Amino acid sequence: MYEGVPGVTEVVEAHGETTVVVETERLVDACVHLRDEEGFNFLSDVSAADYLGWGEAGVSGYIGTAAGRDLNAPMTQGLQVLPRPKPKRFSVSYHLLALSADPRRVRVQTWVDDGEEVPSVVAVWPTADWHEREAWDLMGIRFSGHPNLTRILLDEDWEGHPLRKDYPIGGEPVRFSEEE
Amino acid sequence: MALERPLAELGLHSERVLWPDKGPGRFEQEVEALERKVGLTTLEKAVAWAQTKSMWPDTFGLACCAIEMMSIVSARYDIARFGMEAFRSSPRQADLLIVSGRVSNKMAAPLRQIYDQMLEPKWVIAMGACASSGGMFNNYAIVQSVDKITPVDVYVPGCPPRPEQLMEGIIRLHEAVQAGVPPAYELRSVAP
Amino acid sequence: MAVSPVATRAPIYEGTRIPHPVPTVLRVPDELRATGDVMTVNFGPNHPSTHGVLRLVVDLFGEDVVGLEAVIGYLHTGFEKNMEQKTWWKAITYPERIDYLSYQANELVFVLAIEKLLGLEIPPKASWMRTCLCELNRIHSHLVWLGTSALELGAISMFWYCFREREQILDLFELVTGARMHTRYFQAGGLAEDIPRGFFPEARKLVEWMPHAIDEYEAMLSRNKIWLERTQGIGLLSAADAIALGQSGPVLRASGVDWDLRRAEPYLAYPEVDFDVPVYHEGDVYARYRVHVDEMRQSTRIVAQCLDRLEAMEGEPWIADDRKVVLPPREELHTSMESLIHHFKIVTEGYRVPEGEVYVAVESPRGELGCYVVSDGGPRPWRVKFRAPSFVALEATATCMSDALIADMIAIVGSLDTVMGEVDR
Repeated sequence: MYEGVPGVTEVVEAHGETTVVVETERLVDACVHLRDEEGFNFLSDVSAADYLGWGEAGVSGYIGTAAGRDLNAPMTQGLQVLPRPKPKRFSVSYHLLALSADPRRVRVQTWVDDGEEVPSVVAVWPTADWHEREAWDLMGIRFSGHPNLTRILLDEDWEGHPLRKDYPIGGEPVRFSEEE
Repeated sequence: MALERPLAELGLHSERVLWPDKGPGRFEQEVEALERKVGLTTLEKAVAWAQTKSMWPDTFGLACCAIEMMSIVSARYDIARFGMEAFRSSPRQADLLIVSGRVSNKMAAPLRQIYDQMLEPKWVIAMGACASSGGMFNNYAIVQSVDKITPVDVYVPGCPPRPEQLMEGIIRLHEAVQAGVPPAYELRSVAP
Repeated sequence: MAVSPVATRAPIYEGTRIPHPVPTVLRVPDELRATGDVMTVNFGPNHPSTHGVLRLVVDLFGEDVVGLEAVIGYLHTGFEKNMEQKTWWKAITYPERIDYLSYQANELVFVLAIEKLLGLEIPPKASWMRTCLCELNRIHSHLVWLGTSALELGAISMFWYCFREREQILDLFELVTGARMHTRYFQAGGLAEDIPRGFFPEARKLVEWMPHAIDEYEAMLSRNKIWLERTQGIGLLSAADAIALGQSGPVLRASGVDWDLRRAEPYLAYPEVDFDVPVYHEGDVYARYRVHVDEMRQSTRIVAQCLDRLEAMEGEPWIADDRKVVLPPREELHTSMESLIHHFKIVTEGYRVPEGEVYVAVESPRGELGCYVVSDGGPRPWRVKFRAPSFVALEATATCMSDALIADMIAIVGSLDTVMGEVDR
């Protein structure tokens, strides 16, 4: 159904949701197409996710059926499944909603590596303004064409992008009263 | 006076504790003169009583604890019984800073500014787990306890503390002030 | 539904008032700046409005607001990063503190996301009880909103009236869950514990009293000349602008768009519950007030229906039976080895949620609260992102603030019903 979206590379259906993966360069065209032709007039959310270290620690499947068993991996009962590999380090997901009598949701996803820029969709849905600023602030993904790409949740002079996987959780070690 | 037992019996010498390093000034001389003339108990004790009976808090609600702080103003828990329903918006007019909620790194500077604007004597209550110790958020964004920014008199644990718990903390602060315990900035500085 | 939810009446104002180039910043026109009479005032993070730590940098030309920028982040807690460090079970404790007025909605959305990834079916009793508690939470949130917004506008006694009912609702929460706020009652698979005895009579008392209480609030405010003068015609937001700005919840419904996730994309027990969705078309602060008050009435209706259904479900299971995710009942631990192992695995390592990504949205009292969860199949979430309605509502401040006076600014920011914990996460 979403094969006509400009720049689409893959359409994934899972858990009752549709994810349309588009090329980063054609993102704005895809969004305009979805807003005008398909009626997705409402942008719910822009989420960035960092997949650094994805799948390095093998995890057990829920029921645990996999070919091959490595009995030495801890806490997996030998039923180890690696999650499917991701194309690049960051994914930016746009959750769209067709706010109409026939509501539909779709997720538009694009993949970038560290340092690559994503075209901003502020011109398509003005609400993307702060969402993209948050993605820049916490994840370090630059949005080209954004009118005001500055930090929004952290201090102006903060260094680093906390939600990245290589940024430590921070905080302090907790001292207990019995310890010295 | 609300206290039943004279403070001297408890072993407290409030004059010396309240004004530890300051030599006798004009105020002290007048106090002594008044005491001789009027025969009151020590004027400082009366001053401490007055401070506790209308200790006005500053509107410093940050997060969830602020909602429970608002509910002590409500009719059921009624902080007005203790003379504290007048939450002042200006820190210049407030005596008590109830830090209710998690203090983020961005908020640390405004918090210290507010604290500095308050006039002595001033007290700080760290309400809730996040203000007392960072709470469940041991991470890059939250200051691990407000006592890294301001000296704290009373810590009220809870997430969020019930209104009764907060009132217990406030009343303990009142008792401490009446007993002559100085505000925290005279006793200790901020935590490392 | 054949009728489009988008308003078919004439728009409130012509065109769009969304500022350009930055949609969220109202910029002072250059000719005004040149007069030299524009004063920049900082409504700093600590101010008497009880919405928390919001900073508004406002440019004033006399009493007119000609420039506005909202600075947020003073309550940024790093929820999302913290939740990545905890197991799924422990992570459920965190979302409640995000929107601290409607804590159960936050819990609900995260737990629904976990259940969606797991493909877990929850028993009907849990579904109905979750609905009941979420609606009670909606009433609670609206009561606090009404009390504090009226307080800011000078109707100080509303605060005490609203908090009186709020205490009754918190008594109910304490009866069921053990805590007044941040109840942590929803579990992946259902509820943490059964509904205690004594809940139904107490809840019925509230349900019977609540409409009278709401009548009292309306008697004080709805036809009050001062309230009307201060809220009508202020903070206009047209339907098209609201949708473009991603508004949802009462703000959207007050602008004439008939959109409520409980009816459009139902979840829990909402398909079987009878309720109306209030929609007003004026798009001003008064319309948002009316939407909130009417929603309180409708929530009371929903709670009454939930109570009827729940009383008939006495003795039914309150949590799913899937032992890979849900703790077995304690009696079984004495006799069944498998139950002991399951208990041990769930408590120490935590249950594992299959790989995948989901986006779940519920109708929180503020609007569409969404949760985007990515799981790598392990015991910890890989990425959790909350779509907070207040974050998006604050984006609309600049648009609503066109032609506003400084006194209106408080009314407008209050009517957007923002909770800063949600905005900053």
